[in-house]
Amino acid sequence: MVEPSLEEVFPALRGQTHAITSPRDDRYNCIAWAAGDDRNWWWPDPDQEDAWPAGVAREETVAAFRDAFATLGYQVCDDERLEEGCEKIALFALADVPKHASRQLPNGRWTSKLGPREDIEHSLHDLTGIVYGSVVLVMRRPRKVGHLTG
Amino acid sequence: MSAIPAAPAPVMEPAETLEQRFQRLAGHWLQETAYVSSSSDLTNHPAFREIVEMGPAVIPLLLRGLEKRTGHWHRALRRITGVDPVPPQDRGDIAKAAEAWLRWGKEQGYEW
Repeated sequence: MVEPSLEEVFPALRGQTHAITSPRDDRYNCIAWAAGDDRNWWWPDPDQEDAWPAGVAREETVAAFRDAFATLGYQVCDDERLEEGCEKIALFALADVPKHASRQLPNGRWTSKLGPREDIEHSLHDLTGIVYGSVVLVMRRPRKVGHLTG
Repeated sequence: MSAIPAAPAPVMEPAETLEQRFQRLAGHWLQETAYVSSSSDLTNHPAFREIVEMGPAVIPLLLRGLEKRTGHWHRALRRITGVDPVPPQDRGDIAKAAEAWLRWGKEQGYEW
């Protein structure tokens, strides 16, 4: 079965600079990667099959995802501009249902894990579309030395 | 007496085997969820639900898929069997979930 190309799934990537930065790995997803975890699959599934911070509601709402990232020290901020000494994450949602998260790199570009597929480096809004929706929330925290940079 | 032309014999499509049906559905599921992080989108996909509806007969195929690391088949195993051998502290750890289910399969006497 032929798999669709990245540009077919995310048309906004066409003609834009992006790079695949990891091999495929179905052990972790975008939420885990944004949170700095490349060993677990994070999702607030009510069946508790997946990782999710203790004490945070297991529901697919922007508020629950905001609270999950808050457990890691992130606070809601105004925009995705690069700020010195800060690390940012951006949450994508489709009809208010979270679908994806990206993490800002020190160079101002963004890193995303695409479901069970690869990590890519990209411009934030190049993943906007019918798969992940659009950015609905940006959060920041002081950048920690030694945190995952990929 | 004029002969009535015989109607052509209907061409019978060979029936799809259980494994062929599973592979077809698995292929659809993996392709159409290739970029999906949402566990509920994974498990609400029609192909995934059809696999679950195939019931215990597909357990060996799911265990084989787990061993070959072709997908998150532990999600289907849990829904078919109603049990969950993954320890609470390993929830979200896909590799450990696969190990726990493969152990469970051996304990239950499945061959795959």
